[in-house]
Amino acid sequence: MSVQIEAYVILSAVLFILGAMGVLLRRNAILVFMSVELMLNAANLALVAFARQWNQMDGHIFVFFVMTVAAAEVAIGLALIVAIFRTKQSINLDELHQLEG
Amino acid sequence: MTELVLFLVVGGVAIVAAALMLLSENAVYSALWLIVNFACVALLYVMLDAPFLAMTQIAVYAGAIMVLFLFVIMLLGAERMVSQARQFRWLTPTVLLLAAAFLVLTSVAIIQGQIDLQGPSTRPPLLRVVHAATDAGPVDVYVNGELAAEGVRFGAATEFAAAPLGEATVALHAAGSPTPLLTSTFTLESDAAKTLNAYTVIAYGVGANATLALLPDDLETPERRTARVTVFNAFSRPIDLVDFGVENPTVQDERILIEGLAPGEAFTLPPVPENTDLRPYAFTEAGSLINVLFRLNNPELYRIVREQSQLMVVMEERIADGTATGSTRAFTALLDSRTAPRFGSPQGIGELLFTRYMLPLQMVAVLLLAAMIGVIVLTHKDDFTPRRRDVRRRVIKPLTRVLSAQIGHDVLQPEPTGGAPELPRETEQPEPVGD
Repeated sequence: MSVQIEAYVILSAVLFILGAMGVLLRRNAILVFMSVELMLNAANLALVAFARQWNQMDGHIFVFFVMTVAAAEVAIGLALIVAIFRTKQSINLDELHQLEG
Repeated sequence: MTELVLFLVVGGVAIVAAALMLLSENAVYSALWLIVNFACVALLYVMLDAPFLAMTQIAVYAGAIMVLFLFVIMLLGAERMVSQARQFRWLTPTVLLLAAAFLVLTSVAIIQGQIDLQGPSTRPPLLRVVHAATDAGPVDVYVNGELAAEGVRFGAATEFAAAPLGEATVALHAAGSPTPLLTSTFTLESDAAKTLNAYTVIAYGVGANATLALLPDDLETPERRTARVTVFNAFSRPIDLVDFGVENPTVQDERILIEGLAPGEAFTLPPVPENTDLRPYAFTEAGSLINVLFRLNNPELYRIVREQSQLMVVMEERIADGTATGSTRAFTALLDSRTAPRFGSPQGIGELLFTRYMLPLQMVAVLLLAAMIGVIVLTHKDDFTPRRRDVRRRVIKPLTRVLSAQIGHDVLQPEPTGGAPELPRETEQPEPVGD
């Protein structure tokens, strides 16, 4: 393996930070969701890299579970966004600061 | 070198795609850039020996999740959002500062943290003992002073068991006896490149000449639909393995597969296809095609099973022939061992999922089911069964509209409850009821 494990982990950290910045900076709820997906992916990359490093396949199983949970989370999240859009006619997070129906 | 270039290119594209996703004003562009990023991560998975996860990544993330995102973006018409003044003016600089600080911190931690590059394989090596020592009788096997197996008969083997890395002392005692017949110390090494490190200790030799030999076993999955067959000579003389042809064994179509295998040596045959019948094979005395020591006649016993590592031990068996000591003859044991699936293969992931991670798998399945029901509940606006009164009113209204258009004036009084007397109540219109 000519590429060292640190390179993969640093790449994963950079992607994670980009995702975190997206969550904090963007106001569009769908974009925030996409940034969360990016963060999950960055974590997955680190898991796969460490699985390769330690020659243990358990990391792959965790990635598998993260993917499944991400799919469930996206389905629920997008349903919530659609429901909010119906009542508020907006998905701008700055306008969604009241917990009323 | 190629791998490094590939990593730099793919990693660079991944970072650029993620940044462009953040900066795009149009949400559709963001989604498309995110797909590019997912594809790059899938390529990195391939480079990290995880081909199954790479395919899953493409299918689940790029295929299913992003299509769902694009669908919702288009459905809501949320491509562009009216940007408005922020409530917190210092948000962007604060976030940039925190992100830079976090990046520096993690980079320092990763580089200074000194991740062990040798990656010691935490899985201990596996060890089994084959009893092929003539005249020894049933034995008890002790590994590092601890009883590993009891009453192992001649020609039998113990199961693979985890052994400590490094020095391992294997001792064979006559069954029930506290003093060892044979004892020997081996060094068990762990090769990080292999998924499993397995060793076989073979006790062989006649009477007082018995000794122990260490044979490293290869438990990696061989090529598809083949098996790996290793022959170990525990016989007292050198042997040949000859394939005499299928039907009529004549000297003309013989093929010598192994030539002059000395006692205590092992030889691995080229990959043998599955379901091969070893019937025409025979062990002969080295250099002599006539003196057949043992013929592999039993098709049930010498059947090659695919994706297995099979060890064939030729040993010397004592038989009674009326004399005081008896005479010896060849005896062959075929020991099957399941091979470990390749790293990152679907087979390996499946095995882990259905053994060690069965409970989490069930929990995730329940979670997905709950999410499915949750989505239906969330997006359904009204009750599941509309009330009967509403149905009737909705049916009546369009009808009255049609009638009034024909007559020229309203046919229905604006009172909400009564309904129109000139319309029969039983009218069933196939008008879809919904929003």
